[in-house]
Amino acid sequence: MHFLKLISTFLKVNIQMSLAYRADTLVNILLNIMWLGWELLGLSIIFNNTTTLGGWGIGELIALLGVFRLINTMMASIIWPNTEKFNQSIRDGSLDYTLLQPAPSMFLVTFSRITIWRMWDLLLSIVLIVAGVRMAGDVATPLNILTFLLLTVSGAIVLYSLWIVLIAFTFWFTKFDNNVTILQALLDAGRYPVSVYPAWVQIIVTYLVPIAVATTVPLQALRGDLSLGRVLIFLAVSVVAAWAASLVWKAGIQRYSGASS
Amino acid sequence: MSPEPILVEQLSKTYQVPEREGGFGAAVRSFFKRKYKDVKAVEKVSFRIEPGEVVGFLGPNGAGKTTTLKMLSGLLHPTSGGASVLGFTPWERKSEYLRSMTLVMGQRNRLSWDIPAADSFLLNQAIYRIPDDEYKKTYKELDELLELEPLMKKPVRNLSLGERMKCEIAAGLLHRPRVLFLDEPTIGLDITGQVRIREFLREYNRRTGAAILLTSHYMADVTALCERVIIIDHGQLKYDGGLTDLSRKIAPFKLIGVMLSDADSHDLSRYGTEVQNEEDMDKRYLQVRADEVTRVTSQLLSDLPVHDITIADPPIESVIEQAFNQ
Repeated sequence: MHFLKLISTFLKVNIQMSLAYRADTLVNILLNIMWLGWELLGLSIIFNNTTTLGGWGIGELIALLGVFRLINTMMASIIWPNTEKFNQSIRDGSLDYTLLQPAPSMFLVTFSRITIWRMWDLLLSIVLIVAGVRMAGDVATPLNILTFLLLTVSGAIVLYSLWIVLIAFTFWFTKFDNNVTILQALLDAGRYPVSVYPAWVQIIVTYLVPIAVATTVPLQALRGDLSLGRVLIFLAVSVVAAWAASLVWKAGIQRYSGASS
Repeated sequence: MSPEPILVEQLSKTYQVPEREGGFGAAVRSFFKRKYKDVKAVEKVSFRIEPGEVVGFLGPNGAGKTTTLKMLSGLLHPTSGGASVLGFTPWERKSEYLRSMTLVMGQRNRLSWDIPAADSFLLNQAIYRIPDDEYKKTYKELDELLELEPLMKKPVRNLSLGERMKCEIAAGLLHRPRVLFLDEPTIGLDITGQVRIREFLREYNRRTGAAILLTSHYMADVTALCERVIIIDHGQLKYDGGLTDLSRKIAPFKLIGVMLSDADSHDLSRYGTEVQNEEDMDKRYLQVRADEVTRVTSQLLSDLPVHDITIADPPIESVIEQAFNQ
């Protein structure tokens, strides 16, 4: 409850910050409308010309794009801006104040910046997922939908954990601004179903880099393609990832406390 | 609420700093093989501060002041030694501890640049879980002392440095901390600004009984606020005691001021060290050891055409400076 209140306060503060500069606000709104139009155009091209890709039907591809966009919204509205702020706060020392606040530092670092402009992407991604699933003609049972939601959340958690680990590396390397560029590059690989890629890439993407977990897997669940065992494995993976990330974060903070001046 | 002091025992902090020679070759070598040097920032420092005390924490740049404050506020782990503040071990960073202390660093910003301070205050209220009525009460009190209200509506970036510092300090005090660590809270401010902050801190201390440990490069901050000072240099404790005793121990000197009829024509070097005194340009000033004052004074009076003569303690600023230089 306290955390929800904190997030809503952060959101309010961020909306105020976004509205602070009028010209900037207008440009942002215009840009986002254009961006949305561009995305829709791109989708309609795929929609009109492609029927299958890597064995997946057009409806499934649309739904996959929806999940991909959902994750991307998380990247754009939370992960990117907070990385920027985090990297800056290490350099200018304002991280000290963050660490002295009586709230978990990982939470503060995650939510202190929220870019509100990408929020309608959330809507678009949900529309895409719903439309895609219906077009594919799949009958999504309530159980499938539930596992889909669970796996989407757990995919997001895996991705988030990876992010935490990457930014925590900054505590050791002091300057590691490319941290999230790496993450974005990995994420872009998740735009298409893993089977598009050669086997070795599939292995990397599925196992070494659990990005596939964040996009393809939830969709397989929605189609009812996943066995219960695999669903459980994926859920377990996200729990382990979150746990490992929090350990790395703690070690990073410890390291920061031990080394900074 | 049992008042517990700040207790510091044998606190030490050693940094490992990468070290290399200048030049391209050395830069490349250092990329492959780093050499580290141990730098002792704080070495076996011990002291104790009672509740309600205001203590000046002094030392030249790089003496270890900020490192000590960071350890006491919980940001840094010490290499060895211990400390307890309000009964907590600072670097465990328990949220109960974080809610009862504050660290204000004059050179860092905690307020968001683009929004009015009032909104950042509300964020702090949420993070520190301050109930509405308590928040309003504290805010009213801070407003009374710092005249915050006119500053609250402007984005922080539009405030002057002095105005921003008032807001920064207020932001650090919204949760009514019982211990204040202030690192250069008046840095960069003009005289009026410094005086405002000083008066505020004195009043805040009187009203709340909070203990304050303060570093400053402006000796006036220290002389106005602190009865006691702790001096460290090269990480080691040099002095801990009353401000008035300091001059007796560190600089057992007096200043003899003489007004001469033909001021510039006399050589005073054989009587003592001549020093500048900006506040009084009419007289020439001599720094003389306390036990020599009587002898030198009578000598001056018999040797020279003296119009006026004064004997005074040296200003505390120069005493402290001298303490650093020893």
